[in-house]
Amino acid sequence: MDNAAVPYGPRTPPSRRGFLRLAMGILSACIGLILGIPFVAALVAPTYRRSAAPFARVGAVGPLPQESPVSREFQFEATDAFIREAVTHQVWIVKHSDTELTVFSPICTHLGCHYNWDPSVQQFICPCHNSRFTLTGKVISGPAPRPLDTLPHKIEQGVLFVKWERFRTGIPEKIRI
Amino acid sequence: MWTGVKTWIEARLPLGAIIRWVLEEDIPGGARFAYVFGSASLLMFLLLAVTGVLQLFYYVPTTDHAYDSLMYLRLQVPFGWLLHGMHYWSAQAFLVLVGLHLARVFIWGAYKNPRQMTWLVGVALLVLVAAMSFTGPLLAWDQLGYWSAEVGTSIAGTVPWIGAFLQRFFRGGETMGQETMSRFFVFHVALLPALLLAGILLHLIAFRQAGSVGPWNPLRREGMGKFWPDQVYRDILVSSFIVVVLVGLCVFPRAPITGVADPVGLAITPKPVWNFLFLYQALKVFKGPWETAGTVGLPIVLILILLLLPLYDRNARVNPRKRPIAMIGGLLLVLGVVTLTILGYYANPSAYGAKATADPDVNAPAASAPRDPPPRPAGDANRAAAPADNAAANKAAAGRALFRSQHCDACHKIDGQGGAVGPDLSNEADAGRSAAWLAAQIRDAKTHNPQSIMPAYTALSPEQVTELTDYLLTLRSEATKPAAQEPPSGQREPAREAARLIGDWREGRTLLAAYCSSCHGPEGTDKIPNPGSERGAVPALNPIAANLRDRDPAVFAARIDRFIQDGSVPSGPHPALRMPAYGNKKSLTQPQIAAVEAYILRLNGVDRAQILHPGMAPPQFFLLTVIAFAVVWVVVLILSHASKRTSASTRK
Repeated sequence: MDNAAVPYGPRTPPSRRGFLRLAMGILSACIGLILGIPFVAALVAPTYRRSAAPFARVGAVGPLPQESPVSREFQFEATDAFIREAVTHQVWIVKHSDTELTVFSPICTHLGCHYNWDPSVQQFICPCHNSRFTLTGKVISGPAPRPLDTLPHKIEQGVLFVKWERFRTGIPEKIRI
Repeated sequence: MWTGVKTWIEARLPLGAIIRWVLEEDIPGGARFAYVFGSASLLMFLLLAVTGVLQLFYYVPTTDHAYDSLMYLRLQVPFGWLLHGMHYWSAQAFLVLVGLHLARVFIWGAYKNPRQMTWLVGVALLVLVAAMSFTGPLLAWDQLGYWSAEVGTSIAGTVPWIGAFLQRFFRGGETMGQETMSRFFVFHVALLPALLLAGILLHLIAFRQAGSVGPWNPLRREGMGKFWPDQVYRDILVSSFIVVVLVGLCVFPRAPITGVADPVGLAITPKPVWNFLFLYQALKVFKGPWETAGTVGLPIVLILILLLLPLYDRNARVNPRKRPIAMIGGLLLVLGVVTLTILGYYANPSAYGAKATADPDVNAPAASAPRDPPPRPAGDANRAAAPADNAAANKAAAGRALFRSQHCDACHKIDGQGGAVGPDLSNEADAGRSAAWLAAQIRDAKTHNPQSIMPAYTALSPEQVTELTDYLLTLRSEATKPAAQEPPSGQREPAREAARLIGDWREGRTLLAAYCSSCHGPEGTDKIPNPGSERGAVPALNPIAANLRDRDPAVFAARIDRFIQDGSVPSGPHPALRMPAYGNKKSLTQPQIAAVEAYILRLNGVDRAQILHPGMAPPQFFLLTVIAFAVVWVVVLILSHASKRTSASTRK
């Protein structure tokens, strides 16, 4: 572009013009960054927030059958952004003794389907892709990349409390979401 | 490569020509800082559009979640405080800058031939901006927005013939509610912004068509300056100052927190937002049949005065010194608006409200705001008749008559009727006070609380005092179970709605003075004697018991919430005073309890509206902003000097 095409009047000499362009660039960039970075952060940062569930009461340990999986539902007050309400979750519990048990997340480690216990073959079977697991959660067959996920729990005065957590599916490592 | 792309696009869409048409503008007499207000207003529009859209990522326009979603954004989303704060303060600044822009154009005579269309579109934009500032606050569903919309839609209701329709249309029904919010939401985020954007484009096109007016002094009009880059540089420089000021406003005064909308807004004074205060104040001049002239006539006249200005002021002179009538007229208008705004700000609305209620025919907006309390199941007569004993009923009836004749209701409310100076007595029977305690209170309130402002009724006969106490001890707002079966100390769980609402501590202060101070002292500091209780005194709220206090505002609020909701009976053989269950008995609404909690937290040094996830601490962010812009300004200043020196040397 030659000078004649540049829409500047005679009162703005070229060096001044250069300065104005530079100054406008710096000022606009500063305004854009000071406001733009926080605004983008406001959209991005909360997506990395981890929701922390409390240890929720599931029920008495005593009546549970020994070494035989049972499905139990439990409720707790959860906060989803600005909405607080009771949510219900389900877990598989295998009791070893009155002080020791395993709590499995009901979500298949392959692609997140809900599996079931088949007492006739004594296996956990996922209906989606036929992944099969033992009573201890080990993979017998199928595409599941890792054993069933266990959940943190504690027993206080004979009552089981479980902390609901979710994990990434489809990978060999157990990583919390 | 880039040139190729440019040529390809240019051949199909002449972007270069459009940009040149927008930017290539001769300014007679050169660029000046006086011309920045238009661009600054445009910057505000852009900031409002960006922050508005970003807020929509978190906001939901429903009456049950709008306030929570906004508070989530403001307190829990990183930089949400900045996002909302910039929207709030840009909106305020927008009004100021648009006003300055209008004044500048008026003084420079830039509305005269051939610039009439620019002016007309500009006035239309002003009305749109006013409409935006009216519809915006309601979306927060807080007290401020709720009550200003309530007053505003009531004003629409006074329009002759079509008023009732207009009010219904804007409210989406007879009363304020979800439909009102949906309507205001669509207006605020879709219709009005679209119109505003279209208007701004027309305004700019009309402005480019007629060109800049330049200074009135012919000597200073010599030579042509350029819009690009000379004026744009000044616009951006000023914009950077405005941004720093806005960030400072977000950090230090913060946007107000007025608590969730409460249709039982007894502690709230319905007042419009500041930019409508002049209209609100002007309405007080118009009474009775003239009210419509104020509510409808005045705004229309004001708009017409502005709109038609280029049509009735056709004098071609632009020098303000040669337009004394226009200048004096404009000055009077500004002075009038400023005076009315200041008067409106300091106006004593309770006096106005009282006057308006005295005359039921006057449907003044402040009075028509639903100050009528919700209906209670049991009427005054029914509850007094409830005790089977006829003699007691007669005595109570006499007490009720005394309550009226002694004007106790000037300060005390029973079933929603009466003043708010003293405590609400609707639940006095359940407050746990003995007849002797009440008698002493009537005889001389200072025996219980030395700071009480209740007059000593020494002229009443002992029989009259008994009648009054008998009456007071029949007051029970609903068929509630006997207080003795209340849980010992508010241990019901979980905490109720109020515990998660962010209340306004200022409203809480008013409520605490009205409801709590007779037992807890005016600032919650006193330990009023409570004979028959284990402690022997009412626990102080300030400082509150250490096992209730918590640095986490949500935890702290949840702990005290149970006491306010369920009440509490102090341990001890026969405690004279018991904490009433304000929530269960509905003598306070959940938003009101939230306000009281916010104030109690504040008395104990905890901010209920504390920003939990700021992203960066607001004061630090302000410091960073100031430093960043200071560096940029210094660099620009140095470059400016250098470039001036080189241009001077090349000219030589």
